[in-house]
Amino acid sequence: MPEIAGVGPARARRPFFGRLAEQYRTSNKVGYVMVLPYIAHFLLFTAYPLVFALILVFNRWDIVTPMEFIGLRNIQRLFRDATFWTAVVNTLKFLCCHIPLQIVLSLLIAVILNGPIKFRSFFRGAFFLPFVISGAVVTILWQQLYSTDAGILNLILTRIGMQPVPWLTDPAWAIYSIAIMATWKNMGFYIVLFLAGLQNVPPELYEAASIDGANRTQQFWGITLPLLQPVMLLVVILSTIGGFSLFIEPFVMTGGGPAESTLSVVLYLYKQAFQFLRMGYAATIGFALAIMIFIVTFIQRRLLDTDQPV
Amino acid sequence: MNRSRFAATFRTVALAILALAASLLFAGSPPGAACWAAAGARGQVQLDFWCSSNPYEIEFARAVVEKWNRTRSDIRVKLQPLPASRSTEEALLAAIAARTTPDVCANIYPGVVTQFVAAGGLYRMDSFPDFVSFMRRRLPDGILEQYRSSNGHYYQAPWKSNPLMLAYNAGMLRAAGVDPASLASYSGFLAAAAKLTCDTNRDGRTDQWMIYLNIEPIWWQRFFDFYTLYAAASGGRTLIENNRAAFNNAAGVGAMQFLSDLFRLGYAPKSAFPGDVFLQQKVATVITGPFAVPFYESMKPKEFEYDFVPMPMPDSLRGSEVWTYGDPKNIGIFATSKHPKEAWEFVKFILSEENDALFLEMTSQIPYRRDLESSPAFASAVQKLPMLARFVRQARFTCGADNVRPLVEVYDAIAQEYQYCAVLGRESATSAMEIAEEKVNEILSDY
Repeated sequence: MPEIAGVGPARARRPFFGRLAEQYRTSNKVGYVMVLPYIAHFLLFTAYPLVFALILVFNRWDIVTPMEFIGLRNIQRLFRDATFWTAVVNTLKFLCCHIPLQIVLSLLIAVILNGPIKFRSFFRGAFFLPFVISGAVVTILWQQLYSTDAGILNLILTRIGMQPVPWLTDPAWAIYSIAIMATWKNMGFYIVLFLAGLQNVPPELYEAASIDGANRTQQFWGITLPLLQPVMLLVVILSTIGGFSLFIEPFVMTGGGPAESTLSVVLYLYKQAFQFLRMGYAATIGFALAIMIFIVTFIQRRLLDTDQPV
Repeated sequence: MNRSRFAATFRTVALAILALAASLLFAGSPPGAACWAAAGARGQVQLDFWCSSNPYEIEFARAVVEKWNRTRSDIRVKLQPLPASRSTEEALLAAIAARTTPDVCANIYPGVVTQFVAAGGLYRMDSFPDFVSFMRRRLPDGILEQYRSSNGHYYQAPWKSNPLMLAYNAGMLRAAGVDPASLASYSGFLAAAAKLTCDTNRDGRTDQWMIYLNIEPIWWQRFFDFYTLYAAASGGRTLIENNRAAFNNAAGVGAMQFLSDLFRLGYAPKSAFPGDVFLQQKVATVITGPFAVPFYESMKPKEFEYDFVPMPMPDSLRGSEVWTYGDPKNIGIFATSKHPKEAWEFVKFILSEENDALFLEMTSQIPYRRDLESSPAFASAVQKLPMLARFVRQARFTCGADNVRPLVEVYDAIAQEYQYCAVLGRESATSAMEIAEEKVNEILSDY
């Protein structure tokens, strides 16, 4: 019955659009006006930049001269650009040091601050303070601390008979020195997250475990850690996204050196966009970074989130 | 809600949006726009003039504009320091993109002119019939040619240069028994460095060095170390010739080797320090320009003695004229100007002998003039700050940077090799120059 087969979809379509029109006629129009600011904001600051960046991937543009379509050249360049892959490796090195260090220290301090210690509020505030101080200010201060020839850290090391450490001037050390500083700066935020998680653990579980003869360490591994898993997942994902966005620290402290050892993906993107004015290539790096973050956080979620089917 | 209520709500929201848009529009008008409009109605020509945000240059620009506005009631000039930005180049680039450039700007770095021209941002100055003759009368021989664009035209009026020289702490050199004249050659400089670099408080760490050199791979820092040394060693050649890298030669390798020796032997610290290391007397020498003179004069500690000598050169070149990098800044008229002829009149006024003398006196920067040493107009400024005489003499042997579009990328490539070779000692100078040459040629071939 060809005539029915031809009419069928049209019939099915009409009621759908009819329903939509009916829905619009009967709906409260003020609602559309109310969501207008959000829609405008979304279109202006999210959709437009995203679409524009996607267009840039296939173009060469230096802001002032007209755009030139170059097809896939930016993507091809990305794959054979050794500096970009160096930046990726540096960022991964940073993440490998920064995330575990941040989780272990934040959790340890949160557990201590959750216990009955003196001046608890003061310490909670003190640990949060670096997080709210400007990143540039913290970075400049640490640059002085890390100074090879005049820094306090090396002064202390030499006073106790050790050799000075080239914190920021040796490619083997620099990215890890930055990871330590970034951990110190951001720890306060994650301590707050862990504290919130710790306060949601029912105290009766500890009482029951204690009656069953479990010591503090067993309670930590058997109760605290499993119940903190949702917070842990959040901390890992936020740290990963934050870590991939590494920029201020190497920009201010090392400029990406020594020997490109602290050149992060975002710093490389910045250089391409705002120093070399290669907006198309910078947009390509931006998309590559977004894909990397998506893949890494997806894997993390699959591994850490027990609610997700594996 | 019925249709009429919806219409009323819609009208109210639309009116609110219109009111907001109108208020933003008026808020976005330049300050004094109404006053300018009134002046325009009186038949006056209005010019916007942007100067550097350096306080000394703002003072100078203010004095010049006041003088001009007193004498030329037909052309009013409004002064504004360059908008806040990380650099003049960024501010001007943003203005070109938004087509909000002024009529005249007196702080244009020649290295970015090629890009501004490609963007159609600058007015062709040789379209004024007297441009070339005026500039030839003013400038030392050969300077105007340095600023001719690749299309054969001129888009900038050469204005000033700040020749880089070697500042030295006279007290430290005297105490170490070093003759400042010995700093003229690489070997003499290294011999002096061996005497001056030391651990003064005997705590096991060096705390006094021969020279401070920036260690970060920042492109523009290479103007103040590698490029200046290259200019001295090559007799004023620039890095690019015929759109190809031209620095992989004896001068380039020698300059890079010299920098490498300074770090390898510990004569330059591999650290950043807070404050001015030269005034803190942590280093005996720094590479700097005439702009440092008023700063040193106002900030120097008691009994701090300093002076300037030309840049060190390879031993084989000793005795010849020493060239240096000039950190030049020029004046341009923008394509958005509705009154380019009047703008050119104003530019000629800025470049007059009287105003050049005022510029030298107020900013301690060196205007490009062929009669700088001979004209009495400049003598009083030099008498007030005798150190300036060194820079006035050096100004004749000063080169600018290359007029190529990817200038930043070119210097970034050199900055990376500088760090690998000089700072970290991971490459030989020969290899660093070869790699830099290859990278730079690849960058240039893309344009």
